Amino acid sequence: MSAGLKTIISLSFILAIGFLLVILSCALFHQYLPLLVVATYVLAPLPNWICGRCSNPDDFGDGGGANAVMDFGKFCTGFLVVMGIALPGVLAHSEIIRIPAMMMSVIGGLLIYGTIISFGMFFQEEQEF
Amino acid sequence: MSEERLWKFRKPEWMNSSMARSAGVYGAGALFALAFFVMLDASVWSHSALNGSDPPIHIKFIDWLPLIFSSLGMLIINSIEKTRLSADSFSYSGSGVAWKARVVLFLGFASLAGGMAGGVTVLVLKYVVPAAVFPTLYMGVANVMANALVMLSSVVLWISQNMEDEYAYNLAL
Repeated sequence: MSAGLKTIISLSFILAIGFLLVILSCALFHQYLPLLVVATYVLAPLPNWICGRCSNPDDFGDGGGANAVMDFGKFCTGFLVVMGIALPGVLAHSEIIRIPAMMMSVIGGLLIYGTIISFGMFFQEEQEF
Repeated sequence: MSEERLWKFRKPEWMNSSMARSAGVYGAGALFALAFFVMLDASVWSHSALNGSDPPIHIKFIDWLPLIFSSLGMLIINSIEKTRLSADSFSYSGSGVAWKARVVLFLGFASLAGGMAGGVTVLVLKYVVPAAVFPTLYMGVANVMANALVMLSSVVLWISQNMEDEYAYNLAL
């Protein structure tokens, strides 16, 4: 099986490192706004999931009504992923947080999001069989 | 279908795959987020301690207005069912659906172009005419940049939605 024990362990390690980086970027400089990155990346897969449930992929002849819902979900996901990178950038540009804090929170957020995405892919493969 | 082609160059094959379509939709969302955050960055910067413009220039609601109009135009353009646009030659879609669709689409494009023009207007009237120098001038440039990004995002979304039509057609056959 592709989603073996080793995969789960390494994914959880990566998730822990991501959280460590984000929390460190907040706690080192006593400015807790970069924690919003975690919330953004946790919310990012949600629109895809919700819209995938709402649309029925079987009715293709409906003038693309089902596809429009799916596209809206993808649009929102793209928005949220870029938001996770742009939010520390905005904060750093106004010197609310420092540049190292920005880099740490961006890298940590990307690690968290990558973990969530690869976990979802493993689960989908498991559901197919 | 190939005899009705207008352009000499044909569309490359990879553009019709569903993966390219979803990549286009994701990219449109990313571009829209970039536009919103460029504007938000200018706004946050304007109210931070870094903004040392001598006659103080701040981002107000006026500066957000072009972006609001652009986003409204994008929403209108991409909510329209594209297949209704060419329905005029057939009589089964009665009561002038294509005509209505074209009017609404025109409103959407007018709103998008109006947003772009409004961005340039804000840049000129608020920043160039009082001769603002660069760290202050950035707020006006960001306004134009945000509107251009919304326009680009709208184009990307339009193209990928047109791809979707071809894809559905191929699947139905």
